[in-house]
Amino acid sequence: MLEVAGLTTKYGAISALRDATLTVGSGEVIGLIGPNGAGKTTLLNTIAGLLSPAAGSVSFAGDDVTGSSPEKLLRAGLALVPEHRRIFTDMTVQENLKIGGITRSVADRASGLDEMAELFPVLKHKWTTAAGFLSGGEAQQLAIARALMSRPKLLLMDEPSLGLAPILVDVVFNLITTLKEQGRTLLVVEQNATRMLEASDRAYVLRSGEVVATGTGAELSERDDLFDTFVNG
Amino acid sequence: MIELLQNLIDGLGRGSIYALLALGVAVIFGVMHLLNFAHGELITVSGYAAYAASNQGWSWYLITPLIIICAIGASLLIERIAFSRVRGASDFTLLLTSFGVHFVVSAIFLLYVSASVKTFSRPGWVTDTFSVGSLNIEVFDTIVIIVTVITLLATTWLLQRTMFGLALRAAAADFDTARLMGVKSDSVIRGAFALSGLLAGIAGVFWLMRSGSTTPSAGIDPMLSGVLAALIGGLGSLRGAVLGGFVLGLAEVLLRSRLPDGIAPLTDGVVFVLIALLFIFRPQGLITVAHAERV
Amino acid sequence: MFPKFDRDIAFPLIGSLILFGLLAGAGVLYQALFTGGAAERLITVMLIDAIIVLGIQVYVGNTGVLSFGHIGFGAIAGYTFAVLAISPEEKAKRIPDAPFGLADVDMSSTVAIIVAVMVACAAAVILGIGLARSGAQSGAVSATVITLALLFVTHEVSRNWPELTGGERVGLFFPIGGALDTRAPIYLALLGSLIVARLYAQSRSGRLAVAAREDNLAARAMGVNPLVQQMIALVISVAIVAVGASLSVYEDGSLLPENFFFNFTLLTLVMLIVGGRNSVTGAVLGVAVMTAGRELARRLGQDGFEIFGIGLDGKPLDWIFRENLQTVFLGLSMLGFMIWRPKGLLDDWELDEWLRARIRRNQPEPKPEPLLEVVADTASVLHAENIEVAFGGFKALSDAGLHANGGEVVGIIGPNGAGKTTLVNVITGLVQPSAGSFSIDGEDVTNAQTHELARRGIVRTFQNLRLFSALTVRENVEVSSLIAHSHRTGRTIPDTDALIGEAGLWAHRDRRASELDYGNSRRLELARAAALAPSFLLLDEPTSGMSDNESLEMIEQVRHMAATVGAGVIVIDHDLGFITGISDRIYAFDQGTVIATGTPDEVQANARVQAAYLGSAADA
Repeated sequence: MLEVAGLTTKYGAISALRDATLTVGSGEVIGLIGPNGAGKTTLLNTIAGLLSPAAGSVSFAGDDVTGSSPEKLLRAGLALVPEHRRIFTDMTVQENLKIGGITRSVADRASGLDEMAELFPVLKHKWTTAAGFLSGGEAQQLAIARALMSRPKLLLMDEPSLGLAPILVDVVFNLITTLKEQGRTLLVVEQNATRMLEASDRAYVLRSGEVVATGTGAELSERDDLFDTFVNG
Repeated sequence: MIELLQNLIDGLGRGSIYALLALGVAVIFGVMHLLNFAHGELITVSGYAAYAASNQGWSWYLITPLIIICAIGASLLIERIAFSRVRGASDFTLLLTSFGVHFVVSAIFLLYVSASVKTFSRPGWVTDTFSVGSLNIEVFDTIVIIVTVITLLATTWLLQRTMFGLALRAAAADFDTARLMGVKSDSVIRGAFALSGLLAGIAGVFWLMRSGSTTPSAGIDPMLSGVLAALIGGLGSLRGAVLGGFVLGLAEVLLRSRLPDGIAPLTDGVVFVLIALLFIFRPQGLITVAHAERV
Repeated sequence: MFPKFDRDIAFPLIGSLILFGLLAGAGVLYQALFTGGAAERLITVMLIDAIIVLGIQVYVGNTGVLSFGHIGFGAIAGYTFAVLAISPEEKAKRIPDAPFGLADVDMSSTVAIIVAVMVACAAAVILGIGLARSGAQSGAVSATVITLALLFVTHEVSRNWPELTGGERVGLFFPIGGALDTRAPIYLALLGSLIVARLYAQSRSGRLAVAAREDNLAARAMGVNPLVQQMIALVISVAIVAVGASLSVYEDGSLLPENFFFNFTLLTLVMLIVGGRNSVTGAVLGVAVMTAGRELARRLGQDGFEIFGIGLDGKPLDWIFRENLQTVFLGLSMLGFMIWRPKGLLDDWELDEWLRARIRRNQPEPKPEPLLEVVADTASVLHAENIEVAFGGFKALSDAGLHANGGEVVGIIGPNGAGKTTLVNVITGLVQPSAGSFSIDGEDVTNAQTHELARRGIVRTFQNLRLFSALTVRENVEVSSLIAHSHRTGRTIPDTDALIGEAGLWAHRDRRASELDYGNSRRLELARAAALAPSFLLLDEPTSGMSDNESLEMIEQVRHMAATVGAGVIVIDHDLGFITGISDRIYAFDQGTVIATGTPDEVQANARVQAAYLGSAADA
């Protein structure tokens, strides 16, 4: 469904991402792990259209979408749950979800809201609360629900367990499993490599802007030298 | 006491118009970080349209919607021609662009219409007053206040209950994330300018009814009031802009009636000094919207 | 060594003379071609406009703050001058009731100008304090609004105080003639303004102001106090504008409130923008170009195409040409440049700099001697303890601490969101802790500001690389050096050229920072920090975006630079390989607090640390 080839993105003179290549097949859960500063967020942001690549290509559902705007990509079926969530803090939970579904018809959106209420009972309790008052875990769920409102074919998630206490980390990974069982396709950047590898079909390890290892979740978690890979590449 | 009440009503009447102007300025600032010095030109343009229509014998029932339509149209046109080309530029560039637009538009009128004041007839009831006890209340003020309240309520409904309003608020809060949701930058910015034009149009109707005239530089005063009121209220906040408008209106009226005779003509100057002091001691304006915490 | 005589004094003086010659010469030429009073007046006005625009350039160009208020200062100066210099007989006619007994004052024009300048500068100091309080930073809207308020206040006061100003319709009048029969005072003032503007830009204050313009945060991290430099720039700029305004009033022979309001503000700002606001040469060019363009627009407005000798009998295109075409021309120029060329025609190109570069082209500078290493003061101590930082309800740091001695390298590691950068921000004054304290050499500096900490010896670099982009490599390093020479006098201050050589940047010394590749940019940032003769270098993710090889090189560079200036080092990085390779000791952070500390091997082997990096398994 998603094919990224030779993607290179720069910030001024800095090459944050070098020649990255990966694929995501329909229904797969793909993990992107690696130490920080490795370029994982840059990769997601480039795919989602927030950054323009200096080289390489991105193809989604068979179409070349390199350099497309975020609005276009969303309409093509690609949604991003950004790093640090970036929920609209002055808007209520319901309003945040509605914005997520802005591209859908009124009736469709209403049924979407019902779906999310079921999938995220925690949010249902805070339906009319301003999003800024949600706890970290609730905010993360809101961010994911908001992205799901657009009925994406591919859901990108950037560090969903960031800053969450261990119990809430469980919630996040259970959610990932549930979404997988629903047949959704996910590309997830995660700091928590151990858990991500458990949850992934396949994964890529990024370091210093380059893909340095890839394999199935199981293969990679069995590597003794995983920590070493983080340290020394 | 009576005088105070009188001042209060006068102040609210003025403040209403300022509130509408300020809201128009704040809406655009919210999405583009642009302080629109050309906001007043929307009223200049509508003024000339009103003048032309008045000469043709149109009644104010027709002139009113004409003014509003002209203001919206002018706002969208200016966005298309000038502001769309400097999106994302530095504050410095945006400020100077808006400054330049103000001059070009007013100069075009100066050149191609006339420098002289164009007057047109005002509806008869503008100068009527009625009495409540020993208070003399202008019909005009009453209508302004009522219409403003209705407009503000309608705008609130637009922002809170429609998808367009939601998109506008989202874009003002976090433009990039709004785009991630599928909000189109062009649509939301044009929508903001249209809304701003609508508000300027309604304010313009009353401004023009009150002045009964238009000149190429007629836009400066309303622009200034709108910009200053929005700044007083705090540029991030729409509620602040409305509050700033009322505060400005009341301050002007109260100062004018309370300052000693010698200084009274300097009321406007005093207002500016107070505003400057406000920015020095509270640059974020009166309203620091208690933002729900960012998680 | 600062100042460099030829770069900072001789060539700017020569350049000013040349620019003066060019502008005055152009005027003389024009008058020779188009004789008559109108031409003479046009050139006189142009020369006076140039003085005023130069004044505005000194502030707007060097600080990056957009000011709408300088014409307001012009009004203050102009009215002061007029009221003082107009003869008592004339005053008796216009403003007999002038307050403060001013109707009887009879001053010579020269004295009156001096007083006008002083009054305007006093007003500038007051406004400057206001701007400082509102935190003027290059581009901030509130600063610009305050200057706009000044413009309106002066306009309103001059309109509504007829006893003093003659009011709105009548205004003030001079008998025309007197000292301004000759252009000598104008020429003198113009030359003086050029010299002051150029010398200021090359001076210590000018350079620090420009650094703050380029990157306010980085400047403060190098010990610059932007507010002080902006105030200096403001007062100097207002003094120049005051001279120009007084001359303008005298030349005009009359003074009305409208003369110093929006239209004049537009004119002067457009002139500045078109030429290029960051350069004196640009300001002069802008004045010349816009004067010519405006005059052409005015003639077209009057005579249509006939001025070109084409008699079109006023048909099809005649409707374009009206009087006041000038204002449209000015407005369109402003718009056009903002949209397509915001940096103006010349950006920050200076004539004398170009001349100097050409003349020196064939005289290569010898590479400087390598610096002797300074022995680090191992007694120097940076100590932080119990630091707590909360952002709203979120605890970024709790009970965080750090201890570093001069001469050692301390590393800080931890996953994203662990609080490492927050700690560095606390130690460099960007974030106030809600609890805890830190000290340097025993002196408590918990609440010190960023620039104060830099001057005390805590100097940092930034993860996102904050260089002064428009400045050259040399000028970047010089900024720190200037601060070091005033505030780090107890230490051995490295020679800037030698430091650039040590950093391997000698070949690039005159290139702009924005043109450097990534590796060189990082080296420059390091050199710039080292130039401050720091006690401690705080490096925030110095290998961000680097490949493994480059990271290895960076280890060497950091070690070398720190040894050269005798500084202790505190490094944050995610790259464990880099950190373990460079550090003597390491602190490992997770979730806002220290979870392990010790030698690199100890920390790397620590299970908690490994878990923090990899994430714990489901049942941990």
